[in-house]
Amino acid sequence: MDTVIEAQDVFKSFRDKQAVNGVSFSIAKGSVTAMLGPNGAGKTTMLSMMLGLLEPTQGSVTVFGRSPRDQAVRERTGAMLQEVSVMERLKAREILSLVRSYYPHPLDYGQLVQAAALGASDLNRYADKLSVGQKRSLGFALAIAGNPDLLFLDEPTVGLDIGARQRFWDTVRDLAARGKTILFATHYLQEAEDMADRILLFDRGTLAADGTPDEIKAGIVKRSVSFRSLLDAASVRLRLSAYPAIGECLLSEGRFHAAAHNTDEALAAIFASGIPAQDIRIDQGRLDDAFRELIMDHKEAM
Amino acid sequence: MKLIGKQCKAEMLRMIRNPYYVFWSLAMPILFYFIFTRVVSTGSGDKGEWQAHYLMSMTSFSVMGSAIMTLGIRLVQERTKGWGTFMKLTPLPGPVYFFGQMFGQSVMHLFSILCIFTAGYLINGVSLTLGEWLLCGLWLLAGSLPFLAVGTLVGAMKRVDTASGVSNAIYMILAVAGGMWMPLEILPTTMQRIGRWLPSYNYGSGAWNIAGGHAPEWRNVLILLGYLILFMVVSTYIRKKQETV
Repeated sequence: MDTVIEAQDVFKSFRDKQAVNGVSFSIAKGSVTAMLGPNGAGKTTMLSMMLGLLEPTQGSVTVFGRSPRDQAVRERTGAMLQEVSVMERLKAREILSLVRSYYPHPLDYGQLVQAAALGASDLNRYADKLSVGQKRSLGFALAIAGNPDLLFLDEPTVGLDIGARQRFWDTVRDLAARGKTILFATHYLQEAEDMADRILLFDRGTLAADGTPDEIKAGIVKRSVSFRSLLDAASVRLRLSAYPAIGECLLSEGRFHAAAHNTDEALAAIFASGIPAQDIRIDQGRLDDAFRELIMDHKEAM
Repeated sequence: MKLIGKQCKAEMLRMIRNPYYVFWSLAMPILFYFIFTRVVSTGSGDKGEWQAHYLMSMTSFSVMGSAIMTLGIRLVQERTKGWGTFMKLTPLPGPVYFFGQMFGQSVMHLFSILCIFTAGYLINGVSLTLGEWLLCGLWLLAGSLPFLAVGTLVGAMKRVDTASGVSNAIYMILAVAGGMWMPLEILPTTMQRIGRWLPSYNYGSGAWNIAGGHAPEWRNVLILLGYLILFMVVSTYIRKKQETV
């Protein structure tokens, strides 16, 4: 498998703050990777180093086996930054064709306009007069103008409505299907779960977890089996306590919630215990909850 | 080559669409010119000579202003709003981008010169020989370089507000103390002595000389060159220092 990005033992400190603290990973060609983490976790700093905007204090970052600042790397890379800014007093159409001309093998103008989802009248407007959402669409179009092999997206859907968000991710999926390597930073967990085949979970400058969305979930998500029962809480707990597959059992709003790592075994345990359980539900847990919990843990720890 | 052409074209478009430029760099100097040659009597001896002299004052005033202010504020805007960062991520070589900016500025200066010269001709029928017109224009274009370097210095500032305030102050002080608004001779002697060493006086002086039928003094050329080198060195030093942080 070809490696596109290689980060080795990267540290980055600013005057008063350690932003990235010993992070290593490599990104394979054609993968879609989400960098997930709360604000200030070091995602943007890490991204800036991969883009060659910042130098690591220690360690190394290479892209396509070269320095991120290399001209050849720039020609194969596209980026959409958090703040999309556009040149003043140029029309959207003029900026697009200008930026296209910077690259040796740019994307076809028609395709680009389609990806940007900008209408003919918007393309003829001054770019700085476009709405926030349209500016982001333009920013995305600028990122892919050079038909890049590697695409960086920093919180790309902030400020987009649901429809635009959907369209945006459809386009990204399309690009991924064509073998582009995509790396995006987000704190929308659902996006990371839906879009990425790998999640790098950042937390206070370190890599807290690295794996597929399922692996990450299995590691940190609490699953549970819930049911109603006519028995009282004490006897339910007593009967379930014999089964190690079942953890803590809580009663809330008339439902028992039994925590379990493996929900299949937990179900078997409930049936074996002979509890008259009704309306059984399996709750696989969501990354959202797990993520919130992870952040909450830290807040409490602080 | 094609790349440079496209970049220059885009820069030109941006200039012409800038309403502040059209107002401050074209309308204001022409209005001043009209007032001080037609409305207010300055009581100077040779009317024709004064009209030509003041036309050069106002043209240099306009070009100096856009070199310092328009360039400076634009550089700060690009850095603070993130467009500069985006440009760094594209494969466009930095020097080409810089060249494009300077080209855009020069086209803007040329346009100002043409407009204000035409206004002088229309308002007062200022008549110079073709050679004098051309030389004046060339002098004003080439002599704007030290002021562009001042613009890059202003461009190193952190906030747009600071940059526009500071550049405005520099601009006005240079214009008044350099004899662009009124001839240096009517200012107090101390001011005159200081004024002769300012880049603005030497810039205007070259054009005044050409319009008066003489060649610019070597002193003018050397002082402007000295300032150009000084400002470029300082500007490069500041940029290097900012990059390492």
